[in-house]
Amino acid sequence: MSGLSIVVAEGPGKYIHWGVIQISVANLAIIGAMVLLFILALVVPFPTHDDESGDQEGQGR
Amino acid sequence: MTTRAGELRPDATSDPKNWTNRLRGWFEGLVPPGEALPARQPAYVASWIYVFGVLTLTSLVVVIASGCVLALGGVAWWHVSSVGHFFNSIHLWSVELFFGFMVVHLWGKFWMAAWRGKRALTWITGIVLFGISIGTSFTGFLSQSNFSAQWIGAEGKDGINAIGAGAFFNVLNPGQMLLWHVVLLPLGVGLLTLLHIILVRRHGVVPPLDADLEG
Repeated sequence: MSGLSIVVAEGPGKYIHWGVIQISVANLAIIGAMVLLFILALVVPFPTHDDESGDQEGQGR
Repeated sequence: MTTRAGELRPDATSDPKNWTNRLRGWFEGLVPPGEALPARQPAYVASWIYVFGVLTLTSLVVVIASGCVLALGGVAWWHVSSVGHFFNSIHLWSVELFFGFMVVHLWGKFWMAAWRGKRALTWITGIVLFGISIGTSFTGFLSQSNFSAQWIGAEGKDGINAIGAGAFFNVLNPGQMLLWHVVLLPLGVGLLTLLHIILVRRHGVVPPLDADLEG
């Protein structure tokens, strides 16, 4: 089973067992990607247009 | 008084007893002037975490549009047509993105306590939307017209019966599930999304916890 086929549900899924918790590798990978996306959304700088107006106050509603 | 033959002056039609006038006033008061589609936002909105609500909304547009195309061909179209299969895949993956973006949106709003500043109803409509969206997705999987749908229906019936909904929501009835999927639940999602957006525009985007300008 290739690495890709573990993630893209082809054939029986591979499961991780941790006590009462059992989760497929595919679902765990998706959750991990979403957590990573969430963290990136917090830390990656958002492009702004400071050079155009120069007034941060002007962005207020 | 008239301006032209048989035409009332505009100020003569502002009678508050006229229900059309009252309805127009209600519509105009839904969102403060200029806030329906503002071109500028507060400085704190310049963060990627504030983008996920719009990404969710954009995905929903693709979900509905691809669903409408699938409705043209019918529920079994995607089994026999490559075009149908293409639009079925567009429908599936836009739903996947819809839920992914919505959950990141939910995480962001939860950790910034987005119910602050009289935004409780905005938060509640978002949570209810999340629940109805799950139901819409569930009925979608039941409408695939394949063995997967049959298996999901057979596995889900006991759970649905256990919560007492089986009497009027029969997951083994593909016709009923399809109609819930394409009419009732999307109507609920659409109306609640509209209300959610109106509330966001009405109260403005919630500021970060450390920049709460409202005390």
